[in-house]
Amino acid sequence: MAAEDSSKVVEALHELNVQTVVSIPKVGPFDFSITNAVIYLWVSALVVFLFFFIVSRRLRKEPDAMQTFAEILIGFATGHLTGQIGEKGRKYYYLILTIFVFILTTNLIGLVPKPEFLKPYTPTANINVTFGIALVVFFMTQYQGFKRHGFRGYMGSWLLPAGVPKALAAPLNGVFFTVHLVGEFFRPLSLSVRLFGNTIAGHLVILVMLGLILEFSSVVVIIPASLFIVVMTAFEIFVAFIQAYIFSLLSVIYIEGAIYAGH
Amino acid sequence: MDAETAKMLAAGLGMGLATLGPAIGIGYLTGRAAEAIARQPEASGDIRTAMIIGAGMTEALALYAFVIAIILLFVA
Repeated sequence: MAAEDSSKVVEALHELNVQTVVSIPKVGPFDFSITNAVIYLWVSALVVFLFFFIVSRRLRKEPDAMQTFAEILIGFATGHLTGQIGEKGRKYYYLILTIFVFILTTNLIGLVPKPEFLKPYTPTANINVTFGIALVVFFMTQYQGFKRHGFRGYMGSWLLPAGVPKALAAPLNGVFFTVHLVGEFFRPLSLSVRLFGNTIAGHLVILVMLGLILEFSSVVVIIPASLFIVVMTAFEIFVAFIQAYIFSLLSVIYIEGAIYAGH
Repeated sequence: MDAETAKMLAAGLGMGLATLGPAIGIGYLTGRAAEAIARQPEASGDIRTAMIIGAGMTEALALYAFVIAIILLFVA
């Protein structure tokens, strides 16, 4: 296939490109330019902030639709998500609720169709964004582990429990420690790759179908492809919720594991 | 076979093969969860949470291959 044959399909994939909006000179290896990804992150942060800010300013005894929705979200974060840490986990609901609502908003904003001049982009379809959020969870987990159990206690919880015979424990402890260490460092990676992969895969499928419509402009392709896009977009809305849920639930489980390390 | 063809083949084959394991896993998981809910409908909330966590973990395996395929196609 010649290069110009596939150009329409490739053209449709340009929505996944990061475009620079305001160019700022590089500082060392770091590029601080404002791209469309950054702008959409700001937009979602603003939406989340404004939503909770407005709701908190006009609290009433008889809640309206917005307040009911906010109450459902907060109840979900305190009850279903952080509720399983128990009494010690009460204060982490701020972090978990923020992660859940922010990822959900970012995912949903990415699904809203946007005209070309708005430079459409989904920030969660970028591994840097998801890895950043996962790093926050990673540092929170390690901080909790070291703070609550001390260096010795937290490292000790990675080894075999006390009471194992010395001759057996000495060689096995090394293996246990290495496995645990690798597992600990793979957690942010698997968290971020899961969110990034799900988001970008859904967008890729939809965009490839759009490219196919542009490529073969015949009824045989257009009708099934459009139907498929409609179904796929509905599924993507479902995935946006599920992924936000899984990300926050796994964050809770990791933080819980550090708080109760060694038990 | 030149390098470009090999990359495309590797990406496609790798993605397809990597889907096999998680597909079996998620199918097994969901089937067992449905059985458990049928047996004990009052525990369906807990079962669903456990199922979604498991599905998320399993799905990540296929997504690693997806990332590798993207790296092969666009970066390598």
